[in-house]
Amino acid sequence: MKKRTKLRLTLGSLAAGYLAALGWVYLRSTPLLSSRPVTIRMAHWQIEQGPPDGFAAVIRRYEELNPRVHVEQVTVPGPLYRTWLRSNFGGRMGTDLVEFAYFIGGVNDIPVRYFEPLTGLMAEPNPYNRGTPLEKVPWRLTFADGLYFAIAQSPEIGQIYAATVTQGSSRLFCNRPLLDRITGGHGAAPRTMADFRAICAQVDDYARRTGTVVHPLAGSLLNGQWLIDFTMAGSVSGMNLALDREGYLARKPRQAMTDYLLGRWSYRRPELRAALTLAREMVMQMKPGYAQLSRDDAVQEFQRGEALFIYAGTFDATSLKKNAPFPVEAMRFPQPQKDDPVVGPYISGPFQDGAIATGVEFYLNKDSPHKAEAVDFLRFLTSVEGGTIFQTHSGWLSSVRGVPVPPELEAYRPTGDGYTTGMQYIGVGPNSTMKFWQHLHLLTGPQGSVEKFAEAVEADMPRAITADLRLELSGNLTAVRTVDAEIIALGALNRLGPPDAARAERQRTLAGGQTLSEADGYEAAWVLARHGYTP
Amino acid sequence: MLRVTPTQPAPRATRRLYAPYCIFLLILLAAAPLSGDPVPAWEAVARHLPGDALALLGPAGKSPDHENRFLHAVATLDNPPLTEAKLTDVAAQLTDLARGDDEIADAAAYLTGRLYQVHFPTPDPVRAAHAYEQLAARHPQSYWAQLGLVKLGVLQLYVLAESATPAARIAVAESLLPRLTVPELRRDLHIVIGRAKLFHGRPLPEVLEQLVAADRIGGLAGVPRADLQVQIAELSLRAGDWPQADVYYRRFLDENEVDARAYQVKQKLAVIAPHLAARQDAP
Repeated sequence: MKKRTKLRLTLGSLAAGYLAALGWVYLRSTPLLSSRPVTIRMAHWQIEQGPPDGFAAVIRRYEELNPRVHVEQVTVPGPLYRTWLRSNFGGRMGTDLVEFAYFIGGVNDIPVRYFEPLTGLMAEPNPYNRGTPLEKVPWRLTFADGLYFAIAQSPEIGQIYAATVTQGSSRLFCNRPLLDRITGGHGAAPRTMADFRAICAQVDDYARRTGTVVHPLAGSLLNGQWLIDFTMAGSVSGMNLALDREGYLARKPRQAMTDYLLGRWSYRRPELRAALTLAREMVMQMKPGYAQLSRDDAVQEFQRGEALFIYAGTFDATSLKKNAPFPVEAMRFPQPQKDDPVVGPYISGPFQDGAIATGVEFYLNKDSPHKAEAVDFLRFLTSVEGGTIFQTHSGWLSSVRGVPVPPELEAYRPTGDGYTTGMQYIGVGPNSTMKFWQHLHLLTGPQGSVEKFAEAVEADMPRAITADLRLELSGNLTAVRTVDAEIIALGALNRLGPPDAARAERQRTLAGGQTLSEADGYEAAWVLARHGYTP
Repeated sequence: MLRVTPTQPAPRATRRLYAPYCIFLLILLAAAPLSGDPVPAWEAVARHLPGDALALLGPAGKSPDHENRFLHAVATLDNPPLTEAKLTDVAAQLTDLARGDDEIADAAAYLTGRLYQVHFPTPDPVRAAHAYEQLAARHPQSYWAQLGLVKLGVLQLYVLAESATPAARIAVAESLLPRLTVPELRRDLHIVIGRAKLFHGRPLPEVLEQLVAADRIGGLAGVPRADLQVQIAELSLRAGDWPQADVYYRRFLDENEVDARAYQVKQKLAVIAPHLAARQDAP
């Protein structure tokens, strides 16, 4: 081949390659320049089946309404969330909206440092509710609980930091066809603990007769913990109210710590022994070795038809219903009655299996470059239209009042019709909780007993609860210190600027909250100094 | 070999142009933090953005302006990490500012007390109490002096005079009440004293007297308000004051329908109702 031809062929190939690449870039890839100048990101850990679809559907509709804005969903797995949160927000690279909750632990300082309060906005109507019965209702009151719990756990008393997306409860999910087979017909859902015990006996009998592997409850460490938590909470309602000298109708962790150091309760107390007996009885309905299994193992056990029920939060409902090859029925967990042979004498009444609280809280990043757009999206997400879309596509109940609840979700709706008295004594702080779970095998193992567990746990509790109280007081001190600068700053702004009733009110609220919190702390410190564990 | 070429001096006319410009610029730069509006920096502190506030201030710690020095001290206090040396420095600045005779001086004196009460790793409650007492003696009606008296009351109830009996502690705290003229601060001390009485096992009517006095002043919001209502209701019930229990339980329910305790409160009201009806029926 002539040199000239070779050169032509090479140049031709290069030109063709260049044109093909150009064509690909302009015709097939995403646009080089976005038609949406603003991109906001929202991060959350709800990677179960349901919520990501729900958020995606809300985003699609929002983007139709707002052609300038693109919303990205950032899903972060739960185990990584705390580290992700700290590194991203510490580096000022946090998403515009972010899910946050105190129960992820070790993050109490984050809201004040990185999130912007929404208090003022919450007093205004949500513009996306125009044309609905909530049109003139302040944003806060459009939530089913009026954001009561978001306000209750606000890092600054009186401030609203979050908008919630959903509400839920804990339920017993049942393999309905299996229940019918076991009970020989259309078996009624167990309503009382006596009913539940009868069904558990029937399951054992069925397994023996048919030679099939089936247990009453699907088992895993987490499902077991939820169940123990629930049965303990209900069983100690009488004890909590007996200890309630202050008249709050509930016990808080700090009070439970000081109560212990003052000798007012221990795991040898009859109410707690009864509660532990019931907890042991419940987890014994799971397969042996459940504590070695993960939440996914329990779900699979249930879906294989090897467990009649699974006890879980309604956050698992969508996954359970979508993946199970049989109809799944959600029902309330059976409650012990006053005549229950184990806990009857100690309970005050039915226990609450879902407070009327809304959750999955989204916070606004203080450093967001697109705060206005982020707030606007949050308003849409929590409007009647946004809530309806989220509920339809996620299978999770919306947090918004006025969003119609379809019959299949009605069973998830929390009713609040039962006692909830605070502590359930699965430990009372991080150290004692660790000890509780460390010794649990002595309660729930095949050779376990309440006596063995109580003896072992009591040997560790004085030291563990003393450490818990120290930690609690240290946290209290940090919170109290943080408020000082703000109180002084608000005072300066009141002095320098025109009168602002809201600002003055906020200063008063902060000062009052700080004083009450400080007094509570000193009271606990008094007990710690006189009754704390000393080696 | 490195050859150093001496720079040529600017022509005289150019120097004449540059010199006033440079001096003006220097004056501007030096005066900027002093003449700046402190409001944005205070707003940053109020939003817990101490880094932003300090950046807005510049090196104001050494400035003669009280406002800027106070701002600098407060922002530093909210800007971790805080070492003991840093706290000592802030305390010195505040002590100096507290010598003035304006509102800044009062706020600085109050904050000095707070430093000794809660900010230093080893608290010094006696010194904190002294700061509050001095401030209250100097400007008794100042908001900061009044707030200091509330903090003093809390210290008296639980911390100061270790050997004092509970009764003596409560008596000292109660003696502060007449000095409190800011209603919501008086309310807070009523609550603290009421709860301390409960803690020290005093009779319920004594406790209720304080809590009801606090409620009459009003102004609480959110959870503290709900807690006070339910506490008055439940303690009234235990003390046999059914009508008062009924009033406060109803008020709690009206305002806190979604509180987890609402179910219990409804049960309590159902128990109270026949007793109240019987009273009304009685001749």
